[in-house]
Amino acid sequence: MRRIFALAARDLRLELRGRAGLFSALFFLGVVLLILGFALGPEEADLRRAAPGVLWVALAFAGSLLAGRAWAVEVENDTLDDLLLLPGSREWIYWGKFLFLWVLLFFVSLLLLVMVAGMFYLPLTRAPALLFTLVLGATGYAAVATFYAGLVVRLPTAQLVLPILVFSVVVPVILAAVRATMGLAEGAALAEVAAWWKLLALFDVVYLTASSLLFPFVIEG
Amino acid sequence: MAALVELSGVWKRFARDWVLKGVDLAVQAGEAVALLGPNGVGKTTLLRVAAGLTRPQRGEVRLFGKPAARIEAERGELLFLANPPAFYRHLTGEENLTSWLLLLGRPADPEAVAEALAEVGLPRGRPVLAYSSGMKKRLALARVLLARPRLLLLDEPETALDEEGRTLLARAIAEVRGSGGGVLLATHDRAFAEGVADREVVLS
Repeated sequence: MRRIFALAARDLRLELRGRAGLFSALFFLGVVLLILGFALGPEEADLRRAAPGVLWVALAFAGSLLAGRAWAVEVENDTLDDLLLLPGSREWIYWGKFLFLWVLLFFVSLLLLVMVAGMFYLPLTRAPALLFTLVLGATGYAAVATFYAGLVVRLPTAQLVLPILVFSVVVPVILAAVRATMGLAEGAALAEVAAWWKLLALFDVVYLTASSLLFPFVIEG
Repeated sequence: MAALVELSGVWKRFARDWVLKGVDLAVQAGEAVALLGPNGVGKTTLLRVAAGLTRPQRGEVRLFGKPAARIEAERGELLFLANPPAFYRHLTGEENLTSWLLLLGRPADPEAVAEALAEVGLPRGRPVLAYSSGMKKRLALARVLLARPRLLLLDEPETALDEEGRTLLARAIAEVRGSGGGVLLATHDRAFAEGVADREVVLS
């Protein structure tokens, strides 16, 4: 467990010092929100109705920029071999990379939530429930993205292939997260939203379990 | 006693080109073996195969007496230093070493890290992106001092090192051998190989 946290902490430190991935994702988010705001505005009701979709569309696309960061740091520094020569079964490397990407995605999704609330009138009256939805959504996304980014890390076309692979698998997570967010924005009963949460949690558990078990086989050269 | 690393009838190819053709090689405890040969003959590939980083198409690789694909905990006793050695450029030398120790599952030990850096003559607090090639080689040597590996695999370790650096390298190799470890190094420098290795293997 200590090694998982050490790996995630080191990658976060490198990401904050290198800045490339996080800054490009934040810039991209700003542009996407601006374009969607112009396209859907200026009626408040229209913006409010679109807010849950905007939140998750923006997060999904920004996530595709961040998805490769978990492994890009190893490619940029030629350190993948060193990582693979660390002792122990390699599942822990998956969990360390997953944790790194999850923290990055959750940080971006928090910023996004505030921006969407400000620009698209997404009500924050049920903020804890919205945060819970973000946690579940970010978990599923990071689970899939970490796995596929590891799978394609040695490919020269990794940056092109990765979004296609991730989006093809992560769609159920995004759909369930949009429906849960819509329910919260429209004031639906918590029991109704909980059905989507359960579905999200199920995806998260399945993706995390399958990815961590398969990871040692896909990361080998 | 089993060899630290043993390659039996190893064949390795990239696309249609066979780089290694039936290589047999073993490194025993307390032994240093130098791999010599011209560019492109497969020295680096052989080291990577020996480290278990890439699988041969044919033949068997055993590390510490076990098939290379099956070792897990034993990887902590193996150190492979590539050429050029790989470090995280945005971290300082000590951050690189400390993070590596933590990932090995060892305590951070800032004193040992500072000692190792001082021993190889590197300044503290400077990011690796500001290091020269020779300084990166010295940082790699600091890893050897910290890790005390049972099996040390070195790819052209003497390149970019000055005389003092080469002396440090030769001493590190001798220490690994002296403590019962083994060393397999690829080099183009026959004189250096003769100085540090018990025997030479020429790939052709």
